[in-house]
Amino acid sequence: MSKEVKLFLGPNHPGMHGNSSVHLYVEGDTVVKARLVPGFLHRGFEKLMEKRLWFQNLALIPRICVPEPDINEMVFAMAIESLTKTEIPERAHWIRMIILELARIASHLMAMGGIGGATGLYTMPYWTMPDRDRILDIFEKITGARIYHMYIIPGGVRKDLPGGIEKEILAVLDYLESRKPEYENLLLKHRVIRTRTKGIAKLTKEEALEMGVTGVGLRATGLPYDIRKIDPYARYDKVEFSVPTATEGDAYARFTLKYLEVQQSINIIRQCIDMMPKEGPVNIKFTRGSALRLRVPAGSIYCHVESSRGEYGYFVVSDGGEMPYRIHVRGASYPQGLYGVESKLPGTRLEDVALWLGTMDFCSPEIDR
Amino acid sequence: MNSMNKKIFNEIKAIFKNIEFTDIDERKYSVIIPKEKAVSFLETLKRKGFSHMSLITCIDWIAEKEFEIVYTLFNWETGTTLMVKTRVDRDNPILPTVMEIWPTAKYYERDIHEFFGVKFEGNPDLRPLILEKWEEIPPMRKDFDSAKYSKEHFPDRAYDVDFLLEGSESNE
Repeated sequence: MSKEVKLFLGPNHPGMHGNSSVHLYVEGDTVVKARLVPGFLHRGFEKLMEKRLWFQNLALIPRICVPEPDINEMVFAMAIESLTKTEIPERAHWIRMIILELARIASHLMAMGGIGGATGLYTMPYWTMPDRDRILDIFEKITGARIYHMYIIPGGVRKDLPGGIEKEILAVLDYLESRKPEYENLLLKHRVIRTRTKGIAKLTKEEALEMGVTGVGLRATGLPYDIRKIDPYARYDKVEFSVPTATEGDAYARFTLKYLEVQQSINIIRQCIDMMPKEGPVNIKFTRGSALRLRVPAGSIYCHVESSRGEYGYFVVSDGGEMPYRIHVRGASYPQGLYGVESKLPGTRLEDVALWLGTMDFCSPEIDR
Repeated sequence: MNSMNKKIFNEIKAIFKNIEFTDIDERKYSVIIPKEKAVSFLETLKRKGFSHMSLITCIDWIAEKEFEIVYTLFNWETGTTLMVKTRVDRDNPILPTVMEIWPTAKYYERDIHEFFGVKFEGNPDLRPLILEKWEEIPPMRKDFDSAKYSKEHFPDRAYDVDFLLEGSESNE
């Protein structure tokens, strides 16, 4: 005899990523139907942006999603530079890449720690979070802030790198690489992880393309699609890196790819430090006088970058005024969080629900905006 | 415009007459189409390589009394972004759904319906997605006054600093 039970996962639950709720209809311990209920974090960002000057928005946008706020600054800056047809100094491009890749590592480490909660292997967050903190220390030295940096601005970056920071960055990268054997033993070879994630929360190539899934979720199905390679921004076309892929499309594959991508990011940062111009300007003045009174020529543009969770983009519309006319934030979690939860969770076991949310990189503020 | 894109765009122009692709930069283009042709146009684009739908967004052009719906597509093979724009009347905003082409569109359309009031014919589920107990006009419309709404729905609270004053007295 079986009976259907309705269960609420979240909005505040250790297995939930951010404040969203999933309504699960469960029979035995198998999910029959799943509905995501977003909105607990809705703060009206898009409307707020319409009421602020272009430069004032810089303080607002990093707050959309916490694990990797820098991508917001980057897409916003890219959109304004594209609309105003501005070329930024060469050194700024390289500094931006260093910042973005550091943020990517930090976000991946946080996501890898998050799997600990879903699988019961709590050693993972204890290892990855302090390692992430070393990167935040670097951010604090460069920008003055640990999480919300407001460092990448339209026209370049806010100020030059402090002297000697390259050495400190390299030291952190060396440290992360020295942890490799330990991480591999714990994250990739551990029996708990292997039994809990292999063959779970599978996604096929066709489904991923149909749904519009990007990032690790898409690459785990065998497609080497990375915006940094296919539509390069900054100076990603000048550095060498590979795009790790897997063919299984399950939680273990996604999890492994995250780990491999950290290595790629380390390689990119090393190349950036080698190849960047050692001195020169890092930003340009937009208008004569105050940057706050910036006016952006009328037009619309969509700019996107590869975040740790997939394609992250801003659709920016200007009517030539001092404030944006409309901005739409495209979060990477949107397709896999809404359509994915509804169509892919039915059939999985109850304890594996958090694995889908964890490895598909579900971030609720990206959906709520 | 590189040769690959030129080829794709020429093939599309052969099917849909009077369509002009505008370059924004070397990998970004936009195109304007009438709303009646939207679904078949998008379907053709998907078959020609623009398989990834990045987002559907809506812009409220209140002075022109129109909503602009923008479908942003991406071609994974060539790295090209294409913004397909179509306009609907602001007083009677109805568009056909594109759920059959991209199932995820269901949620983007629900989102736009909630925040702008645009109806998508054929989308079975246009219930509110994010807001709760919302009775005003859709909030992302330009004529929605957020300051007025806040005044009406939330009480003014005086900033109570009694506990600070007590502390400061003892310090004097």
